[in-house]
Amino acid sequence: MRRIAFVLLTAWLATAGSTPAAQNGGRPAPETLPRRADSLKFAVLGDNGTGEQPEYDVGQRMAAAHAAFPFDMVLMLGDNMYGRQDPQDFVTKFERPYAGLLKEGVLFYATLGNHDDQNNRFYKGFNMGGERYFTFVKKNVRFFVLDSNQLDPKQRDWLDTALQQSDEPWRICYFHHPLYSDGARHGSDVSLRVVLEPMFVKYGVNVVFSGHDHMYERLKPQKGITYFVSGSGGELRKGDARPSALTAAYYDQDQSFMLVEVAGDDMYFEAIARSGAKVDSGVIHRQPVDSRESR
Amino acid sequence: MRPQAQALPVHPVSVRRRRRSAAARLLDRFVHGYLALPIGVAIALVWANTAPERYFITAHALAFPVNEIGMALFIGLIMQEIVEAVMPGGALHSWRRWTLPLIAAAGGIAGSAGLYLGYVQGRYETILTAGWPIACAVDIAAAYYVLKSILPRSGALPFVLLLAIATDLVGMLVIAPQYPTVASHGGGLGLMLIALGVAGGMRALNVRRFGPYLVICGTLSWIALYREGLHPAFALVPIVPFLPHEPRRLDLLADPPDDDAVHHFEHEWNTVVQVILFLFGLVNGGVMLRGYDTGTWALLLAALVGRPLGIVTAVGAAVAVGWHLPRGLGWRQLVVTALASSSGFTFALFFATGILSTGPLLAQLTIGALGTAAGSLLAIGTARLLRVGRFAR
Repeated sequence: MRRIAFVLLTAWLATAGSTPAAQNGGRPAPETLPRRADSLKFAVLGDNGTGEQPEYDVGQRMAAAHAAFPFDMVLMLGDNMYGRQDPQDFVTKFERPYAGLLKEGVLFYATLGNHDDQNNRFYKGFNMGGERYFTFVKKNVRFFVLDSNQLDPKQRDWLDTALQQSDEPWRICYFHHPLYSDGARHGSDVSLRVVLEPMFVKYGVNVVFSGHDHMYERLKPQKGITYFVSGSGGELRKGDARPSALTAAYYDQDQSFMLVEVAGDDMYFEAIARSGAKVDSGVIHRQPVDSRESR
Repeated sequence: MRPQAQALPVHPVSVRRRRRSAAARLLDRFVHGYLALPIGVAIALVWANTAPERYFITAHALAFPVNEIGMALFIGLIMQEIVEAVMPGGALHSWRRWTLPLIAAAGGIAGSAGLYLGYVQGRYETILTAGWPIACAVDIAAAYYVLKSILPRSGALPFVLLLAIATDLVGMLVIAPQYPTVASHGGGLGLMLIALGVAGGMRALNVRRFGPYLVICGTLSWIALYREGLHPAFALVPIVPFLPHEPRRLDLLADPPDDDAVHHFEHEWNTVVQVILFLFGLVNGGVMLRGYDTGTWALLLAALVGRPLGIVTAVGAAVAVGWHLPRGLGWRQLVVTALASSSGFTFALFFATGILSTGPLLAQLTIGALGTAAGSLLAIGTARLLRVGRFAR
């Protein structure tokens, strides 16, 4: 009888999502970051720029994480600024919340969301070089940063060429609107997916990060690519996740960010809640391009 | 006992004829009822929300031939009808008629663009700023037919047509250079001059068939615009003035009378265009309904509130300084006329695809563009409330 009660309670916790671990199907988050000296370490943050207390809390939590896991950069997944975007707002919505990281020399690489002023690409702190879409390399990883607000033919053409010319072992793409998401408010953007996914598969993109839905979600690999939604760096839509057969893990009860380490052929990741709880973790093994194309 | 009636033998050819005529009647209803585009949109909406992946793959595959090539025929037909309506003997010939509708159009553009821009700026979503011409678009046919159903044979009809045409011409001028393309290749000007030269030559030789103009000159013009990075759907605009014309009555976008060679070609052209409009609705009308966002509300507010307010205010100001309302158009009728022009539908959809590329911005503005069709219902409801036209009885 006790055993039945325990099973029922566990199942309820798993569906109600009252604890971080419960939202991952009751499993603890076992993987830890290896913290190798020669690896690439970075954080991921989306939909953060509210200038409100939760954003500051996440900023402090990231600074604390940096002390133990000295990441070099932060990928910003868009909606880096909400509301008014005057010079003073860059201070209250970016420079102050992440002062601890900026002081340590951590670089932020942003993409534009639907709430961002297009001119923010010229803001030095976002390291966009004045471009809507761009690419950069860190160690063995090439990053492709897209403007998913609209995929104009020039951007598609540019991406095709940039992916084709890339010879780094890891290819990571990030942009604001998710190709796969189980968020109730927005969900998957299928019109973008049918354009981008064939290119990602063809050229061997390994991992894709997006925001927009204000929660955390990791999708089961789709055509060999792992998709993350990390859109609760400041904004939060509590209870927004509608887990489906595609969901590997999710967390929608508090603000969160991610820590990532690429070491050789493995990418380790952790999703951390504002409270400091680890809400998801794992490792992705890099797959050769050919094996994915044959799927 | 009554003798049993013996069935007459039915000849298979007559059955085929009957079936064909039923199919022709259905096609006629489809074409003349201006239903092609709404039917295409309705199918697309259901498809996109039930099997999105399959829908968007199909829509992407068809987007270029439909939006960039097929729609050139639609824009060309609109131009042909405008040219015929304003030529000597045409229903909109008198330039004196244009003054007040032009003022109304300017007021409508200011009202809709102003409210649209104010709303997106107020929400700090400046990325949507580029969509303002979509907010200004007027569905010419919807405005005309809605008003015709409320105020048949009134001065409001030429008024709303001129207002809608002037508004959309401004929109077209704005969006033509905004064509999202990879690169311009130059050499377009030379090709355009050749196209115009050939069209002029054919006109001088009194070529009465539309085909050679559309195929030879239209193709050259299309390539010219495309190479220059301009919207190729406008390819027939410079060619249309060379086509043979006959003055025509007011039924814009209605099938012309098939009583002379020119109108016979227009009749055929119209049928083709209705098929294209169906495909246009099918390819562009499919959006996932949860894609609504700030742009959707901005567009609805601009079209359904901003434009009518702008039109009534501008006409009010004009009347205050000495202009006169057309005969049969009082203030209540003007309000209904302004609301009848609030539907952007076809043109809003066309402008949206002309300005924006695939993505969530296009999706939210497409939902708004489709939603402006509510303007037609708003006009009918207001006419009923104000007892205007056929509701006066």
